[in-house]
Amino acid sequence: MILVLVVVTALGFDFTNGFHDTANAMATSIATRALRPKVAVALSGILNLIGAFLSVEVALTVSNAVVRIQNADGTPKESLTSDGGTALLLIVLAGLIGGIVWNLLTWLLGLPSSSSHALFGGLVGATIAGLGWAGVNWNGNGSKLDGVVGKVILPALISPVIAGVVAAVGTWLIYKVTVGVAARFTENGFRWGQIGSASLVSLAHGTNDAQKTMGVITLALIASGEWTDTKSIPFWVKAACALAIALGTYLGGWRIIRTLGKGLVEIAPPQGMAAESASAAVILASSHLGFALSTTHVATGSILGSGVGRPGAQVRWRVAGRMAATWLITLPAAAMVGALMWYLGDFVGGVAGAIVIFALLLVAAGGMWLRSRLAPVDHTNVNDEWDEPAAAAERVPAGATH
Amino acid sequence: MSNLGFALEGAWKVLLAGLLLGAGLPAIFALGIRSMAFGAGGDAEVDHAPPHPVGRIGAYLLFAVVLLAVVLGITFIVAGGFGKALSFEHIYPTIVDK
Repeated sequence: MILVLVVVTALGFDFTNGFHDTANAMATSIATRALRPKVAVALSGILNLIGAFLSVEVALTVSNAVVRIQNADGTPKESLTSDGGTALLLIVLAGLIGGIVWNLLTWLLGLPSSSSHALFGGLVGATIAGLGWAGVNWNGNGSKLDGVVGKVILPALISPVIAGVVAAVGTWLIYKVTVGVAARFTENGFRWGQIGSASLVSLAHGTNDAQKTMGVITLALIASGEWTDTKSIPFWVKAACALAIALGTYLGGWRIIRTLGKGLVEIAPPQGMAAESASAAVILASSHLGFALSTTHVATGSILGSGVGRPGAQVRWRVAGRMAATWLITLPAAAMVGALMWYLGDFVGGVAGAIVIFALLLVAAGGMWLRSRLAPVDHTNVNDEWDEPAAAAERVPAGATH
Repeated sequence: MSNLGFALEGAWKVLLAGLLLGAGLPAIFALGIRSMAFGAGGDAEVDHAPPHPVGRIGAYLLFAVVLLAVVLGITFIVAGGFGKALSFEHIYPTIVDK
């Protein structure tokens, strides 16, 4: 029973992961009107689906980077599986809920935050609650980049800067090279370049992110004795995860797309192409080098960089600052939700505890969805002018009319 | 070595690869577009110069370079998914086991 809840919750997380990250690949193409919004999310969804099926490698040890609930070969720690895996399942369930709640909250506020960090945060919190501070892999063992510091905090600080520099250089070069070419002529060409580079980002996203959920579900299956092979994952798990992330992507996190595409920088096609190329290159290069990073941080850094690199472009640093603040609190915030959920689930105990926290998740998700309907953002208004409240409010004192 | 050391070591490699591919390729693409405009002439350029057919050829060459790099990128992703890796040890890329 708890296992079913874990699987459903994990797929739910995968779904939020999809719609949270549509913006990373497609925000620029939508903002420059290289693609119609619906076409962009459909393309991204399909590529995510393909990407998810392409990931044959087993990401079973994904949680090992931050928490110690698995052995090195991916099997769960024996101490956690003694009672049919309930101890481990509760940690995973509470962690997933922490991740989903944070993903939904940031979506409601239109802020791009890393889904992987939300997942890791939730797991860290649930683990601290369940196993104590020693259950968390804070700093690795010093032999490679590992632990919360090495896999989460340092990449989060470094990757947006790298992506930003690359995108800024790319943008600057593009504008230098195309001086003297008529604007109408360049825009058309760069739209194509933009679509191509954005598609690469979508594909890479599918291969990277769906794997994490597949790993978590397989871990839960092993813990409860439903699956024993640590070298492969059941096909239905792969298919379900691929579909969940693709559907999420297709639904589109319009609020986040709007922030990334319109809020940070007014993007022209050459900038969009530079930004997406930078994202694709940085994501691929770092996954090749085993340098874990978040597509969200990279995409945001790239878009920011494309604004810095274009002479005379306006960058809304206030929006960027809000995003950076969100990134800082993603891990602790998701951890707090994860820990709370674990305490609650443990207090009620057993299957009933799991059902209670799952019900709480449904209530929270439903509540945030209802709240979002008050000011809906969808494919019809995603490209509306960004009127920043602070800039618009050039306050003229009453009576000071001329 | 500490985590910070590992991170910085990885970071400069990513930065280098990123600059080469993430900024270099768009620049080549931009050169292609410029060459295309040079080939088309007239309204495609700000100075309305006459068309130069050689520009078109140059443009297609430059686009081909970019396309090739993108195909390699996709191969890289797909190969990675199947537990393979791209190797450049024979200069031209080959797919090898990880």
